[in-house]
Amino acid sequence: MRAVTSPQPVADLYRQHHGWLLGWLRRKVGCSHQAADLTQDTFVRVLGARDLDKLDEPRAFLMTLARRVLVSYWRRRSLELAWLEALAQLPENHAPSAEDYAMVREAIETLDTLLHGLPLRARKVFLMNRLEEMPHSAIAKALGISVATVERDMKRAVTHCYLASLEAMPQDMADSLSARRP
Amino acid sequence: MSTATRKLDPVAERAIDWLVRLDSGDASAADHAAFAQWLNADLRHQHAWRTISGLLDQPVAALQNAEAVLPGQRRAARQALTAPARRKALRNTAAVLLLVGPGSYLLNRQQPLTGLIADLRTATGERRQVQLADGSTLTLNARSAVDVDFSAQARLLHLRRGEVLIHTAVDHTRPLIVHTVHGLARALGTRFSVRLQDDHSELAVLEHSVRLTAANGSEQTFSAGSAARYTASHIHPLPGLAAPLAAWSDGLLDIRDRPLAEVIAALRPYKRGYLRVSLQAAALRVYGVFPLARISHSPKFHRGDRW
Repeated sequence: MRAVTSPQPVADLYRQHHGWLLGWLRRKVGCSHQAADLTQDTFVRVLGARDLDKLDEPRAFLMTLARRVLVSYWRRRSLELAWLEALAQLPENHAPSAEDYAMVREAIETLDTLLHGLPLRARKVFLMNRLEEMPHSAIAKALGISVATVERDMKRAVTHCYLASLEAMPQDMADSLSARRP
Repeated sequence: MSTATRKLDPVAERAIDWLVRLDSGDASAADHAAFAQWLNADLRHQHAWRTISGLLDQPVAALQNAEAVLPGQRRAARQALTAPARRKALRNTAAVLLLVGPGSYLLNRQQPLTGLIADLRTATGERRQVQLADGSTLTLNARSAVDVDFSAQARLLHLRRGEVLIHTAVDHTRPLIVHTVHGLARALGTRFSVRLQDDHSELAVLEHSVRLTAANGSEQTFSAGSAARYTASHIHPLPGLAAPLAAWSDGLLDIRDRPLAEVIAALRPYKRGYLRVSLQAAALRVYGVFPLARISHSPKFHRGDRW
């Protein structure tokens, strides 16, 4: 009776709960457009789930996935706002053009994903060095820490990014990239 | 740390050491020579080096290009990526999403109100939800003040400052009325918000309808989803939906293609001190839904300085 690969459970879930999930997300974000996008994102995650035909509480399951989608949505939104704040504090007109806007926002999102979970000071040190090309001595001076600490933070941050980039790809691909094969 | 689930192999670790060393700003000629020797000693070294040194090529290149056109982009990116309040707010948001079910008011304080007449006030960055004597729920936005004046004839709320959202309890004998200097908004069994500005008031109706009477006596009824701006002498229906105007009650700022200056204006009750925005940046169009909580926790944002 089990049909893990069958699309039928997904179609059933979609038919029976799409409207409810859309309403729930609309209440969360207050915007029908955005709620529709987030509903779509949630069902995309459903496609990656197993044993859908054995769900006891499909709505609880959908809500769990939708919450993850929401968290990631808030993360991107708040990042964008933080960026706009930073731009607003610049003395002159430093707003990127519409084309650059999307590109820069995407670049910042990528960096945020790679740096996710890294402590704040290491983040700062890392970005000052990799992004703004500041030497360790200047970073140490700017942050009031020792050069040895800057070095330690740099190593920790690069390691973090490297491991995060491995996490982001499938295991076999990561293994082939890793210098030591299993 | 979640990324610790995969172990770092020694060759990758060595490549990371080299990257840190060579870009430290004081790598010596001897360092470079030793690196070249290491790199050429083994194909696996070259492989690891390519992977690790190229980790951020794409996003960094995008930001360097933007920097070349408009200086300041890299710094703005770094500030966005290291804003501590954002990280804190995100943890809060995640926690709240997990703990609170739909329909709840987030981050608000519940406070019973016993007296029939009371002054209700919120400070900067504070939102408060109050249960009124008749069972109605009153939510005050930051920097708002309301006098509650309930009698046998009417339930009167005087909005002195700021913004309130009201979910009225049913009481057929006493209408619920929000009064500002610009006029009266009479609830017809409903949920709605009123915001007092310097030169006008704004009404947003979320459920059922509200009868609006300007100070000069002109009247108009607004139904669910509609919004109006009114002065003592005029009532203007507002284009667009009512819901974004009341999103603050859920701790959100809902912006649909508005200039950044308006976003800043909406954020002001959530911060102390000055908030600067350059004229050009003020015209930036913004679209999105933002959590308000992080604003009140952002000292960097308050001071408007750079770090």
